[in-house]
Amino acid sequence: MSDTINSTQYDFDAIVVGSGISGGWAAKELTEKGLRVLVLDRGKPIRHSVDYVGEHAPSWKFPYQAKKPRELYAEEYPVQSRVTHSFNEATRHFWNNDKQNPYDDNPDKPFMWARADVVGGRSLIWGRQTYRFSPQDFQANASDGHGIPWPVDYEEMAPWYSHVEKFIGVNGRKEGLAQLPDGEFQKPMPWYALEETIGERLKKKAPDVTLTNSRVAILTEDLPGRSACHYCGPCPRGCSTGSYFSSQSSTLPAAKATGRLTVIANAVVERLIHDPATGKISDVQVIDTQTGERASYSARLFFLCASTIGSTQILMNSKSDAFPNGLANSSGALGKYMMDHALGTSSMGVFLDNMDSYYSGNRPTGLYIPRFRNLQGQDEDADFIRGYGYQTYTVRMDWSTSFNRKGFGADLKDSLRKPGQWLWVLSYFSECLPRESNRMFLSPNKVDRFGIPQVAFDFTWSDNEINMQADAGRQADRLMKAAGAVLTLPGGTDMSIPGEGIHEMGTARMGNDPAQAVLNKYNQAHDVPNLFVTDGSFMTSSSCVNPSLTYMAFTARAADYAARQLAEGLI
Amino acid sequence: MNRREFLQCAAVMVSGMTASQLGLALSDAQRAHLATAPNYNAGKASYLSAAQRRILAAACETIIPRSDTPGAIDAGVPNFIELMVSDWFNATERAIFDAGMIDLETRIPQQYGMAFDRLTAPAQRDILEALESAASDHPWYEFGNVQRDFISDAPFICQLKELTIWGFFTSERGAKEVLRYNPMPMQFDGHLPLSPNDSTWAGVVES
Ligand SMILES: Cc1cc2nc3c(=O)[nH]c(=O)nc-3n(C[C@H](O)[C@H](O)[C@H](O)COP(=O)(O)OP(=O)(O)OC[C@H]3O[C@@H](n4cnc5c(N)ncnc54)[C@H](O)[C@@H]3O)c2cc1C
Ligand code: SF4
Repeated sequence: MSDTINSTQYDFDAIVVGSGISGGWAAKELTEKGLRVLVLDRGKPIRHSVDYVGEHAPSWKFPYQAKKPRELYAEEYPVQSRVTHSFNEATRHFWNNDKQNPYDDNPDKPFMWARADVVGGRSLIWGRQTYRFSPQDFQANASDGHGIPWPVDYEEMAPWYSHVEKFIGVNGRKEGLAQLPDGEFQKPMPWYALEETIGERLKKKAPDVTLTNSRVAILTEDLPGRSACHYCGPCPRGCSTGSYFSSQSSTLPAAKATGRLTVIANAVVERLIHDPATGKISDVQVIDTQTGERASYSARLFFLCASTIGSTQILMNSKSDAFPNGLANSSGALGKYMMDHALGTSSMGVFLDNMDSYYSGNRPTGLYIPRFRNLQGQDEDADFIRGYGYQTYTVRMDWSTSFNRKGFGADLKDSLRKPGQWLWVLSYFSECLPRESNRMFLSPNKVDRFGIPQVAFDFTWSDNEINMQADAGRQADRLMKAAGAVLTLPGGTDMSIPGEGIHEMGTARMGNDPAQAVLNKYNQAHDVPNLFVTDGSFMTSSSCVNPSLTYMAFTARAADYAARQLAEGLI
Repeated sequence: MNRREFLQCAAVMVSGMTASQLGLALSDAQRAHLATAPNYNAGKASYLSAAQRRILAAACETIIPRSDTPGAIDAGVPNFIELMVSDWFNATERAIFDAGMIDLETRIPQQYGMAFDRLTAPAQRDILEALESAASDHPWYEFGNVQRDFISDAPFICQLKELTIWGFFTSERGAKEVLRYNPMPMQFDGHLPLSPNDSTWAGVVES
């Protein structure tokens, strides 16, 4: 029937919910394939560059000269302000206000939900770490039986990874590792002298690990309309030159250039309307966050890209007679099998090497030690399965990390103004297993200011994640010794708060079996042919690498598939 | 840089020029897109009495004196601290600060015969050193105990040192004249030679 439908009967060909990392990609790909696309985002509208008001702002221009406004944060941003490396007065306008947009947190099982509140979503404030999943990652569930098998393998995804990397611009060093496939890289960023010293020592004393550049979505070579990084440093303030990838700098402008993009900000999607007669989604219902006015828009195709938790909330809130347990949830898997990477500082080492070597420019990333545990099958000494990687940071200590020293006068001033020792920090990110009991759901009794049920969580770490954290600490100790640290400070022993990894995923997993999975291998709902979910909801396992590149690659592939299906009249 | 200039920059960028071209084409002011907020320290404090203000200034200058580069007073630190105590401190912290100020204001003339700010620099330093040695067991001094929330029960002398050092190195003069300030480096060099007398960069501080 669909081939006889004239698209003018619909407000748009496709509606994309969310304009963050995945929504931007859906908008770009669908408009470039000729579709008229509406992007809806609950966040505030911002203009690239013009509204990055904190960019390059010096400390003396901040309230309290950059000491954080504690009362305001405790009152209105108690969750978001815990994301300490990215949340401050230069970035606060990008973030969600917790008081205005609460969720139903259980203090006994806290979950930290970090979210943006602007067009562009978290692409503006993310850390830009960009890694491919490996063939082993896509095989893990099938081989050890946790979760369900991925319906896709690495070979099938590799061209899509390339497609995305070339457009967003990723810099890195090729290493030829099976566990971290190389991609399409721009030239890598240079290293600190200390990092070279450490690299040489590790090659000799810890040859089982590789120290390489973090692979980041930051340009080291110009791309059309975007320029190479100028090393100003605090990227989450926004980047006028578009040097780092964000929806604002990259995908949304590309979509806009087709002339087929409409973006509506301040539009919170309340639910999708399923038409039992056609078996498809017909409309999306939205509420204007500023006026409270309601509206609905129709389309032939719907892409949910509202972030893992946001999209699953919409599906859960879109109940109907056909789907009493949540839209597209005949499998019952919706909301379950939630994952988040555990993270923490495994070790900090003080170094006395290269003391007469300094740097200029703020390199906006560190180095990376890819997973090295359980690669050729199970390591004998490992009491866990799968693995973790270290993101490493090199810091020359300064007054801000040693102002509590004793003394007064000219000597104190002089010692504070000069660089201190080098510090090398190993932070681990570990793989989280998909478990049915880790889940999100709609609060039975709390609603938000729009009357939409609040999200609630039930998430705990399993022994596998806990044992892995302990192993990351022991291995970091070994690596610090091999690297030549004169003093090591062990990291904390507490597990991160679930959600704190900011890589929440898996609440509408994909799989070949409709009885077990919400989505098929093209991110299409098994139950509803014109509904695609392409943010982290689809993830069937989590790997240990930062996931957003994988969301982008699957989004681009899903958009390609959906557009072809539409053209062929199949949806 | 004013808003119009800012928008000019933005327009150049949208027109597709590269940052490197841009870096050469723009003035210093244009290269540093400043926040719209005014300089925090430009606010006028009204928390202390005139006598207390003189004591606070002398104490800050004892911690970070003027040498061949600006000192705490040059950098506006006393005003910064007064603003912080009235706007930012909580009641516990403010009570500790108030008691510390009253102690200096009343005890010193009794012991030394004149106000703290009238004493010689070595005498002022001795007094603050005595406060420091009395407080030296407090966790404020523990190694690695930085980059954390302000410790609410930290003794007066620790409050004074923390706010003086923070206020100094985040001030315009402290950042530009005592540290090195370059918001737009344009490149990264991991092998810059460091001479014994070189300062750190005025980095991006987050409390
Ligand atoms: C500080 C920080 C650092 C990070 N670092 C990295 C990193 O280095 N590497 C990495 O891979 N990942 C990183 N992440 C995670 C990354 O940001 C997310 O994985 C990614 O943004 C997810 O993309 P998304 O499109 O699913 O969601 P988002 O980018 O969050 O976008 C979702 C959008 O949907 C909108 N939305 C939500 N609900 C609704 C609704 N009901 N109606 C309308 N609109 C809605 C939101 O306003 C938002 O704009 C980081 C995250 C943070 C916060
Ligand atoms: S460091 Fe580079 S990527 Fe980051 S904001 Fe500055 S120019 Fe942009």
